[in-house]
Amino acid sequence: MKPTVAVVDDASLIRDSVGLLMPKLDVVAAVATVEDLLRRRPVVDLVALDLHLANIDVQPDVRQGIAAVRALTRRGYRVCVYSQEERRFVLAACMAAGASGVVSKALPTARAEQHFLDVAAGGTVVPQPVVGILEVLVRRNCITLLSERQRQILHGRARGLSYAQVAKQLYVSESTLRGYWLDLTRSLQDSLADLTPAEIEHALGLAPGDLLEFWPGEDSEDWWRVRTDR
Amino acid sequence: MAAPGPLCPVKVRGATGPYLACWLAAAVAAVVVSVVTVVRRRPLGPLGAAADFGLACLLLAVAPLVLAEGERLGTWVAFQSAYALSVVMTASGVRSLALAVVGLLGVIGCYFLFLGEDFDGHASTAVGNVITFIVYTAIPRLFVNYTRRVARDADASRARAAELARREEERRAQLMMHNGVAVMRLLTEPGTDEERARLIDLAEVELRRMRSYLRGREPDTADAPEAVLTALVRQVCDRFTDLPVDALLDLGVGVRLPAAQAEAVERALESLLLNVRAHARAEQVVVHLDQGPDGWTLTVSDDGVGFDPATRAVGVGLREVVVGELRRQGCDVEIESAVGDGTTVTISSVPAPARAAREAR
Repeated sequence: MKPTVAVVDDASLIRDSVGLLMPKLDVVAAVATVEDLLRRRPVVDLVALDLHLANIDVQPDVRQGIAAVRALTRRGYRVCVYSQEERRFVLAACMAAGASGVVSKALPTARAEQHFLDVAAGGTVVPQPVVGILEVLVRRNCITLLSERQRQILHGRARGLSYAQVAKQLYVSESTLRGYWLDLTRSLQDSLADLTPAEIEHALGLAPGDLLEFWPGEDSEDWWRVRTDR
Repeated sequence: MAAPGPLCPVKVRGATGPYLACWLAAAVAAVVVSVVTVVRRRPLGPLGAAADFGLACLLLAVAPLVLAEGERLGTWVAFQSAYALSVVMTASGVRSLALAVVGLLGVIGCYFLFLGEDFDGHASTAVGNVITFIVYTAIPRLFVNYTRRVARDADASRARAAELARREEERRAQLMMHNGVAVMRLLTEPGTDEERARLIDLAEVELRRMRSYLRGREPDTADAPEAVLTALVRQVCDRFTDLPVDALLDLGVGVRLPAAQAEAVERALESLLLNVRAHARAEQVVVHLDQGPDGWTLTVSDDGVGFDPATRAVGVGLREVVVGELRRQGCDVEIESAVGDGTTVTISSVPAPARAAREAR
């Protein structure tokens, strides 16, 4: 059975083409803004969300980026970011805000479709730059809850090794390793969400305040709206 | 070299003419052999040596006819045995052992003819002279053969040195040309203007390297400042913006390399990324830098088509530009690949004790 998917993208071309180009997905809703989706409240396995949804000057009330991710995850949606965004701290912030995956629009369609299927099935898709950030945070003891085995898995995946290669190194089956990786990424995602921007800046050697622009540190419902007014 | 006996006035029993003829024959032969040897700068050939032996034997054999009674031993008149000895020594340069042995036996046989009935009263002298013939054949021959072996070894060493120099030059040429050739090949393939512009940037880098090589100047890296590895890796990755490269370098911040090692790493990384561009069909390339207590590690992995290292020989790029050059610069390189499962190349600095142990092996 195909997973049901809602697409949130301000480009009509993307909204129309996802269902056509990714036949293994059942696109039941395709809207331009998160607000539209929240009004319609479709029941779906996955929301494919673009990070940049509108011109801020023209539509200041439309949620963008992290705010959009948070709004959807708080209402119980499973979110996979589908964006051209490549700044690694923005991608990490999406994961910290609750997104279960980040898929680049630059990927071939078949691979992007596979990632959506993985996320819809309960998995996570962590982009490589974010894996790199997580490894740094673990190595610099910002995240400390990992077992030795989990550290080894993260070590291999951060270097771009495939599941098969890491499984071979650790003498486990590939399916077992995929299970480990899923648990590990969920755990890391929770840890990432608990970290403050200052802690991450310190661990990564960034200047104080470098992450404030990206990170979901505010807890009020309207934090994003305040920022867009600045 | 043959030399006749001393010329001095002697009393000869009724055979002055033949004696002089013999003496002249020996003198002429000695001069001719000496001149030929000096001019050719090598010992006599087999024919000349055989003729020399023949003359020595003949002179020994006819000596009883031209010498007076009692002159064959212990006198300066009987030059024949001394001449024969000089021929035996001269022939030590002859390569043919058979010729040397036959010549020696001939001389010994003729020496006994030369002695004739005088042998009875001078047996010990005669035996001593025969032993002298044998020893003076063997010792110079051993020395000449030893010298020949040394010369042959020297020739072989020179040839090997020349071959090694040729191979080293070939390796340097491959090293310098490989990446440039790969860039040129990519330039011949159809692509967008943007892709070609990126390749032209790469081509300019390679062009500078090749010019430096053709001018015959090794880049002087002895006094060059150390390079920051993260900056260098990023610089190379920026030349491949068409590839899906994720450069994760946070853990390697602060790693510095000597200039020569940095140049080798730069060239190797460029070669690896050129390989990815040309062959891997990868959707993701990860360049990861890490610094641990034992040194730094640079990992380049792609999720492309990979290859089977057991059945497919690696090309010049991997063999020379990556593995060979990096190992010469004291780095360790591991290549792991499987068909359909991408390729991972791990480059690491080798700690000094480990490097010493490796070099000792």
